[in-house]
Amino acid sequence: MKKGKRRQAHIQTKHVIAQIAMLVVALILLAPILWMFSTSLKPNDQILTAAPNWMPHPISFEHFHKLFTQAEDFPVARWLFNSAFISTTVTLLALAFTSMAAYAFSRLHFKGRDVLFMAVIATMMIPSQITLIPSFLIVQKLGWFNSYQGLIVPGLAGAFGVFLLRQFFLGIPVELEEAAFMDGAGPAVIYWRVVLPLAKPALAALAIFTFIGAWNDFVWPLIITNDISMRTLPVGIMIFQGRYVTEYGATMATAAVCSVPTIIAFLIFQKRITEGIAMTGIKG
Amino acid sequence: MNKSQWRTAAMFLMPYGVVFGIFVLLPVLYGFYISLHKWHILAPKPEFIGLRNYKLVLSDDLFRIAFARTAFYVAMVVPLGNALSLLLAVGLNQNYRGTTFYKVAFYLPVVMSVSVIAILWRWLYSAEFGIINHYLSQIASLGHQIAPAISPAALKPQWLNSPATAMPAIALMSIWWGAGGNMLIYFAGLKNVPRELLEAAEIDGAGPWRRFWTVSWPLLRPTTLFCLVMSVIASFQVFGQTYILTGGGPYYSTLTIILYMYQQGFGLYQLGYAAAVGYLLFGTLLICTLIQFKLLAVKQ
Repeated sequence: MKKGKRRQAHIQTKHVIAQIAMLVVALILLAPILWMFSTSLKPNDQILTAAPNWMPHPISFEHFHKLFTQAEDFPVARWLFNSAFISTTVTLLALAFTSMAAYAFSRLHFKGRDVLFMAVIATMMIPSQITLIPSFLIVQKLGWFNSYQGLIVPGLAGAFGVFLLRQFFLGIPVELEEAAFMDGAGPAVIYWRVVLPLAKPALAALAIFTFIGAWNDFVWPLIITNDISMRTLPVGIMIFQGRYVTEYGATMATAAVCSVPTIIAFLIFQKRITEGIAMTGIKG
Repeated sequence: MNKSQWRTAAMFLMPYGVVFGIFVLLPVLYGFYISLHKWHILAPKPEFIGLRNYKLVLSDDLFRIAFARTAFYVAMVVPLGNALSLLLAVGLNQNYRGTTFYKVAFYLPVVMSVSVIAILWRWLYSAEFGIINHYLSQIASLGHQIAPAISPAALKPQWLNSPATAMPAIALMSIWWGAGGNMLIYFAGLKNVPRELLEAAEIDGAGPWRRFWTVSWPLLRPTTLFCLVMSVIASFQVFGQTYILTGGGPYYSTLTIILYMYQQGFGLYQLGYAAAVGYLLFGTLLICTLIQFKLLAVKQ
């Protein structure tokens, strides 16, 4: 009996140590992000101190204020608008396009359907960066260099959404659609009125992945724009820090502006995201 | 099968199909076509030169350096990154209090853009003012107090400024950035390990360590294969980190393949040559993936 108790106590201690270790690891992993926000909120004289000062005191918004007021060389507000506009449009259109395709691949019967689907899925294995050169030339030939079309349309081509939604649609009981069919509904009505409402969880997960991915995209906006007013935030803040490399308060403020929207989106939808990843094995 | 069904299907497939055709299928074929040409962006007409670009790339010293440095990066990021992801997943799987907090904390870096993390880590890595060297110097002076032989200035790496440490620094940053993604996949894998098997092993007297290696780890094999394949493919394409932080320097120590492709294509406008670099990387990744499948695939 005594032995059992000691063993219990031993296991207890082990659990406490493990939990402390987890907490320490979590704090270390969070530290860079906290440091970014902390620095962005500090007045300049508190940034380069002998010992790191984690809590800004007083909190100062001067760097953010400056970012949005001296707009000539670095139109941060414009970049913010570009990023928001592009990511939102990509998300909405990608959801519409991929859900339509996924509906055809899961519910309509036509010759060559499965071969076509396999061909689409196979392209998911193609590393995206290797086709940068041809994609760039195609966009240039279309006259889309430095344009919103050039920034948006290629982002709608990913096969992942088709794959995810088709899997989800296949799990929806066919009887529901058959009932609607009996009532005289055509495929368009069934897609819009029956399938899409039932697929809300999958659509939400896909929407949030697409949004974060489009917001954070760096390479494509980098090569497809060169006009300062057509840049997106990730590219813009890189240019900004190239000029103000040692102004840590200002560069951290740009980094904060660029990451707050995705962080908030993640915090709101974290359950959807983590479950979506578990469901499909894809990262944001 | 009738005409109207075809028409309906075509209607549903059209919007995605057009975009897919122009921006996925076409680039793959067109890229190969470009790689067979001497294709300068300003030249009036590309000149067909067969496989000469590929020969030139393969005998190019800078490409070899880029390939070796990228392989070095992959060799750090893939094993260490996956080990960290698995470790974090095992931690999450203990169901301690605050699991949601941990999940969020571990995953948070993943939702940030490469340019944000690069700008942030440039500062963390600053040799003079960065907090990493600040805490390292505290450790060093603590060591000095214990063993005076240790110089208090012993731990002051130059990080991004030294050819020896620049690539490891970028690898460390990338591991931090990406660990949360694979963590969630490993976590899902661990959740699928049947409880009864773990309980049976426990009754047989297996401790947690033994239970993990004899029960969970073999069952995680498909998950591990998936994560490894995906991280190899992603790591070989490393670009933003080296482009923003070092531009490939110092002394080409962080020149990576896609960065080299970018420099050739958009810096020197040698589009044919750059396309060939991309296709050689594609071939490398195909071979890597096949090898991993051979080594790790679940034997039936």
